[in-house]
Amino acid sequence: MTPWAHIPQLAFSGITMGAVYALVGLGFVTIARASQIINFAQGEFVMLGGMITFFLLKGVGLSYPLAALLAVLLVVIIGFLVHIMVVYPLRKASVPILLIATLGVSIFISNTTALVFGTLPKALPAFWGNQPLQIRGIFVTPQSLFVLGATFLLLISLYLLSHRTVTGKAMEASSTDPLGADLSGISRNLMVFLAFGVSAGMGAIAGIFITPIFYTSYHAGTLVGLKGFIAAVLGGWGKNSGAILGGLVLGIVESLSVAFIPSGYKDAVAFVILLLILNFRPKGILGSPFIDSRRW
Amino acid sequence: MKGKNGMGALLPCLILVCLSWATPGYPAGKSPYKIGVNLELTGPWAEVAKTVKRAMVIEVERINAEGGIAGHPLELIIEDNGFDLGRVAANITKFAKNKEIILVVGPFEDNLQATSRAIAEREEITNIIICPSNPMLRALKQRWSFNIAHNDIIVSQRLVELCSARGYRKVLVFHAAHPLAQSLAKYFKRFGEEKGIRAIISKETHKPTDIDMTPQLIKLKPIIEREKVDAFYASTAGPPGPIICKNLRALGINIPILGTHAFGFGFIIELGGEAMEGVEFAAGKTVVPYQLDEDDPVRPIVIGLDKRMKAHYGVGVDQVAGHAYDAALLIIDALKRCQGNPTRDRFRDALENTKGLKASMGIYNYAPADHDGLTKSDLVFIRIEGGKFKRIKFPGYE
Repeated sequence: MTPWAHIPQLAFSGITMGAVYALVGLGFVTIARASQIINFAQGEFVMLGGMITFFLLKGVGLSYPLAALLAVLLVVIIGFLVHIMVVYPLRKASVPILLIATLGVSIFISNTTALVFGTLPKALPAFWGNQPLQIRGIFVTPQSLFVLGATFLLLISLYLLSHRTVTGKAMEASSTDPLGADLSGISRNLMVFLAFGVSAGMGAIAGIFITPIFYTSYHAGTLVGLKGFIAAVLGGWGKNSGAILGGLVLGIVESLSVAFIPSGYKDAVAFVILLLILNFRPKGILGSPFIDSRRW
Repeated sequence: MKGKNGMGALLPCLILVCLSWATPGYPAGKSPYKIGVNLELTGPWAEVAKTVKRAMVIEVERINAEGGIAGHPLELIIEDNGFDLGRVAANITKFAKNKEIILVVGPFEDNLQATSRAIAEREEITNIIICPSNPMLRALKQRWSFNIAHNDIIVSQRLVELCSARGYRKVLVFHAAHPLAQSLAKYFKRFGEEKGIRAIISKETHKPTDIDMTPQLIKLKPIIEREKVDAFYASTAGPPGPIICKNLRALGINIPILGTHAFGFGFIIELGGEAMEGVEFAAGKTVVPYQLDEDDPVRPIVIGLDKRMKAHYGVGVDQVAGHAYDAALLIIDALKRCQGNPTRDRFRDALENTKGLKASMGIYNYAPADHDGLTKSDLVFIRIEGGKFKRIKFPGYE
């Protein structure tokens, strides 16, 4: 059997993984677009989305949609709290200091989750149907279609937010031209505050959609966050479309690599691609608004 | 401001120290026999390690309430190693330097045992490890370390019997990339060939941290179809087990799945959901306390432990609780045979001479060449049905 025969199924599996990475990457980008901060607690928002839904569903006994909705709300509140308690007090500090602070937040959230919800991994049931659908010889689970749908809808709503609303434009302005934003009467702190809420909400939604496919545990946020970050950098740091493209590229390449090289190297592939891209095209595939291309 | 912050950090530490020092009161009298316990009470396996601690405490409290061993109470000195190799080494060294401590129990996880065993050997103190013996370390024939759980050899033998009983002729083995899983695959192939079962060991592997095995399984799917494989053996432990089952079913592969004894935990079924239905494996007797044979010599022990666990902690027995409880039983049994003066040497020799000790997992027999204790008849066949573990029996293979 030649490796080529596996390609369609592998590609679909890669697209699903890619959509997952993209969903996580979008959260990174939202905060970066408002404040240039790299929020390393983003993976934790994803983990919390799945974890809180699990608790509300199994522990409290709410219905699935209600539990999911409430979980998103709670995570948004946590996102706001992270801003009020950590990022806002450090608003005068430089970006690297904020980065370290978000790393601290990430460790804090993950260990608190371990204390509150326990350390054993947890999985959510699929939204609808466990039986795979067979489309032209490719097996597709309904849940992966949900993930693809969610990625698409989130991208559209982010596009509408940043291109069709004043708030969205103000959020972007406060990052690309802080002085200009100040002069136009935009409260930058408020914009970063909102960005944390939006990105926490997106992280939570991502978490709820992907937990039925994989599982979640208190330390799952780190790996997911890292892959999402790579996706965002790969596609072009600071662009929503970049995060989506980067995620899909990463997912598909990772998955297809298995057809040709032993699966033990699967994780290394992500980092090799990242190194190559950063070496030859440092601003990412689509280019980054934060990196001046003339410098390269 | 700075001082205040320092105090804030100090206070929880102080509370922790106080808690760890708090030990139950003993009747005034003979000095306690001290046992060091080195466990992963924080980190990813915290909940499992907590079960280990609970099951040991339950038995130690019982023996102390009865007056201890010839008047000497038992005292567990429990230290957290945080799933960290450095702290595992620090804890066991600390225990070894304390001359009052007779032996050390723990760690629980496989990847910590090599370090712990090496230090036990150097310091000449008995080390009882909860997880199965590591195949790479077993060859070293270390004098001072003992394992409690069923080892890879007997699990593989039992699984081959399960295959024979089911009539599987060809089994595809997909194993994790760590020594225990590799060794389970290797022994399965060897014992399988003796019984005319062909085991195809997959060139694809997975890591314990992998969250998606779909790419690997896509590569294996043509092999399954071409070779007309009868069953798929997921030689793995922890979350990858249910992930493999889910991914297999999502790819439309519906052949029977076989698992390892590590599938015998409730959380595994929860993780896999419907995909776990019909998975079969061989595991310890404490997985199915009330489905054991009426004449099984360990049945009353398992049920007794289950009832006591439920009364004390509200959760029943599982495999880990069984192993930990057995560790306590083995220690008490060996201490009783130390002629009232358990030195480290005497305790080790007594433990090595354990013969026919009935515990919850089965009947333990240690020997100089066998520090694993259990045999394949101490494993039962289990099938996951309706989200529960169901014992299955085959005539001729009980």
